[in-house]
Formats: sequence, C-alpha cells, structure tokens
Amino acid sequence: MTKYEITVGIECHVQLATKTKLFSEVDNDARGKDPNTCVSPVDYALPGMLPRLNEQAIRLAIRAGRAMNAEINPYSRFDRKHYYYPDLPKGYQISQFYHPIIGAGHIDLPDGTSVRIEHAHMEEDAGKLNHYDTYSLVDLNRAGTPLIEIVSMPDIHSARQAHDYCKELWRAMTYAGVTIGDLYNGNMRFDVNISLALPGAKELGKRAEIKNLNSFRSVERAIEYEYERQSKLLDKGEPVRQETRGWNDATGKTTFQRSKEEAQDYRYMPEPDIPPIRLSQEFIDEELKNTPLLPKDYRGKFADVLPVDTLEVLLDYPELMRKLGELAGKDNIKRVANWFASVLLAEEKSYEMLSFLPKADYLEELAEMAEKQELSSTGAKEVFLKFFDPQMKGKDAHTIAKELNVLQENDTGALEAIVGQVISDPACAQAVADYKAGSEKVLGFLVGQVMKASRGKANPGTASQILKNKLT
Amino acid sequence: MKITSVEIDHLAELSNFSLSEQEKQNLGQDLENIIGYISQLDELDTKDVEPTYQVFEMENVWREDEILPQETDRDGLLALAPDAQDYQIKVPKVL
Repeated sequence: MTKYEITVGIECHVQLATKTKLFSEVDNDARGKDPNTCVSPVDYALPGMLPRLNEQAIRLAIRAGRAMNAEINPYSRFDRKHYYYPDLPKGYQISQFYHPIIGAGHIDLPDGTSVRIEHAHMEEDAGKLNHYDTYSLVDLNRAGTPLIEIVSMPDIHSARQAHDYCKELWRAMTYAGVTIGDLYNGNMRFDVNISLALPGAKELGKRAEIKNLNSFRSVERAIEYEYERQSKLLDKGEPVRQETRGWNDATGKTTFQRSKEEAQDYRYMPEPDIPPIRLSQEFIDEELKNTPLLPKDYRGKFADVLPVDTLEVLLDYPELMRKLGELAGKDNIKRVANWFASVLLAEEKSYEMLSFLPKADYLEELAEMAEKQELSSTGAKEVFLKFFDPQMKGKDAHTIAKELNVLQENDTGALEAIVGQVISDPACAQAVADYKAGSEKVLGFLVGQVMKASRGKANPGTASQILKNKLT
Repeated sequence: MKITSVEIDHLAELSNFSLSEQEKQNLGQDLENIIGYISQLDELDTKDVEPTYQVFEMENVWREDEILPQETDRDGLLALAPDAQDYQIKVPKVL
C-alpha cells in the first residue's frame, strides 16, 4: 500500500449480554431457538404496545463507555429513525440520534497507536430476513436486541490497523462483560468506511461503505480489496462513487449494493414512549466499579511478569486471562501462563477446554511441584492436561500426579538404594571403573541407568549428586 | 406553504404507500393546512426556549431485566400476518 493514503472509519454494532430485549421482557438469547419464539407484541409492533426500557442495558452501556475510555453522558434519550423495511415491523428503529449515552473516547492498540471514538449510542437490533426466489421470510427473534453502536473517527490508515482496532474493541467489550462476543453468531458486526487520497491531499476521497463484516479477518481483507479497487479507478482518472458495498468471504471481493448519492431521509423525531435517561454520578460510579478487569488492566498487572508475546496471545481468551488474574502476585504465574499458551491452546479441542479450567489453587500447586522438581516438565504437562479429563474432575495436582505415577523420586533414602543397585550391577562395572579413573562423561550414562531403574521417577539432579558422593 | 406533488410522492415512497391521484391531492391539501396551522408558532421568538421533547416530565422509567411470560405466542402473532411460512412472516422479496 503505497501510492494513495487510505483512511478508514469503523462503526461497530455490539449486542449486549442482557437477559431480555431492550424494550420487551422476552429472551434475548435466541441462539439455537426456533424462529419467532423470542418475540413479544412490542417487537411485533402491535398497536398500543408500550416499550419499556431495560435497566441492565443502561448499566452495560456505562461499562462499555469505561472500556472505551469515554465520558458517560448524564443525559441521553431516544429518537425514532424511520425506514420502511420488514426487519422492523414498527417502520422505525428506536435509536439515540441527538443525545447518545456515551461521549468521546478512544481505544489504544497494542502497537501504540490510538483510535478515537466519536460517540456510542444505544439502539435496538432489527430482525433477520431470509431471502428466497420470489419471497423473503422474516424472523423477529433478533428484533429489539439491545445494541450499542460505536462510531470511530477516521483515524485508521491500514487494513492491519483496522483488524487490530476491531480485535481490541472485541477484547474491551468482552472483558467488560458488555457482550458475549460470539462473532460467529453476529454479536459484533462491523461497517467499514474506506476512502483513498494522494498523500497531502486536502480533502478525503469519496468513500465506500462495506456493511456487516463479522470477523477481524474479513475487515482486513475487505479493506485490502477496496484499496486495490479504488486505486485502480483513481489511476484511470475515474471517480470513486459513494456507495454501500457487500463483502463476499468466498470470492474475497466487495460488490455494489446501493448508491448513497440520494441522502437518506430517516425523519428522526423524539421517541415519545421512552422518557429520557438522567444518570446520577452515584449510579454511574456504581457501574464503573462493577466493570471487571479490562485488557489494559491485565497489561498493567502482568507487564513485568509475562513476556509481551505470551500476554497478547492470552488476551484473546478472557477465560484464561481471568484465571491468571486469580494467580496475580504468585511466583509461579509464568509457568501457568506457559501451560495455557503452549499446552492448552495447542490442543485441538482447546476451545471446549476453556469452559473447564481447573481451580487456581490446583494450578498453583502444580506449578509449585514443577518448581521443586517433584515432576519433570513432561510429567507436569501430563498432569495439566489431565485436569480437563472428566474422570479426573475435582482432583488436585498431587492426586493426579500420583495416579499417573509421574512423581519424581526425591526421597534420598530410596534413591540411594537404587544408586547402590546400579553401581553393583555387573553391566555397569566398566562405567564405574571408568568414572573412578577420571572419565566424568560416563556419569550421564550412570544417571540414565538410575532413571531407568526408577522407571523415570528419579530426580536426575539428586541421582547425579548421590552417584558422585558414592564413587569418590 | 405549498406542498408539491414531488414531495408527496417522496413521502409516499418512504412509507411504502401507493396513492391515487385524488388521494395525493387530498393529502397535499391536508398537509398544507396542518403545516400552515403549526407555522403560527414561527411568529414567536423561541431563541431562549429549551426544546420540549416530552410532555410528561418523567425520567428514568426502567424495568428489571427479567424474562416474563407473554400473553401471545408465535401462532397468535403469525396469525396476524398476511402470510406465513416455516414459522416466519412471508413478505414479497426485498433486497
């Protein structure tokens, strides 16, 4: 990416992890449920229905604000955004156009750059349309799901930076408990505005908007594709049209959806059914205090203890980070972090294992055993993986190590007896003689014999020491 | 204030209404009357007046985040739709 400078702004819709919808008392988690089973007369827009605002959505919006380093506006209210489309039977979406709940903020990226947030507002999600040859079918399970829409400033200047921004936003929202963060099920969706201009140009170029991207990778690829497409047009002296385009993951291309030349006419008006929100400082502070540790908090906590690479890998897994958080300040946290990063995440079923993490106490015990060399590093890994075995459920590290028979023999009495056997073994007579004659390198062979005789349980360091004592 | 037929067509399209010529004329006349009536307010100086968004002076009307049983179920709601298929509302193809 060289000739043109790329400028990207991103709007992100985040589905809030509330039990019920934004304005109705029905189940907000429609995953795996039949169409139109999570629908109330409010979502269905029957005449005379009164929407009632969910307090938890306000609380989660406050947390979201904290996670994006933003001011919470004490006063906010809802507006009607009118558009006629079957995904919302009311004919309008209830949104916050004039007075959003979250003000300006910023998201700091691991590479040291920062993306400013213009504002973020609450609104309701729309239903899902399934298209067929001559008709479309409407499922309203998602209609009325609480969202916050986070609007970034055009501070992003590469496809990679856009990827990192989306990921960091996902981390922030997930750690804060604002959303379940299941991208596959559309818990977070990204609309990306992309424009190109020659370096130093006073005005940004016309922008194309790619709607509804649901993975970091597709955000990155769509921007790479748009850079190519728009720079080819500009090279030929052709104009880039302001339009909405769709992304096709399979072809790796964006395609024209509709023109934006005609200004949208949403006829915003104040929502008369929902009285305004006025938040006291106490209410805001209470929820700020309820916000769990955020990625930035973990980075601060572990900066001196864990290597940056390990930390950044583990930050993609809130479950692992929270577990490490329980071990903060313990000496052996680095061992546990390494087991997470290089043993657990290497497992094929690591994703399922995240829900069955062992107790922090057990991990600490295992780390201590490894530290004291009561286990070899291989033995410790074996025990670690057994924590996830349903048959070993609830068993501590020592119990599992014993059952696996991987405890190292540190008992000097028992070891001395084994060393005695090895020394008097005729098969070792030559080695013993060589050692006594001054050949130190046969010591390794003798230690190996001790290990073999103890069936791997001897601590090699201790065995070596006893051998030396006995042979000099 | 004159409401042009172009504006009526635009509004009808936004709301997905199909109107006869007679209806367009009537609606145009009605809108002109309504806007003319409201426009009397323009004679007042409202420079220092806060906009009124709510006529009830209520704030913070919230509810608990608890699932409640609904008085209607899926069948009841779908029965109100002009057409349904596979437990979904069937509409003309939209894009």
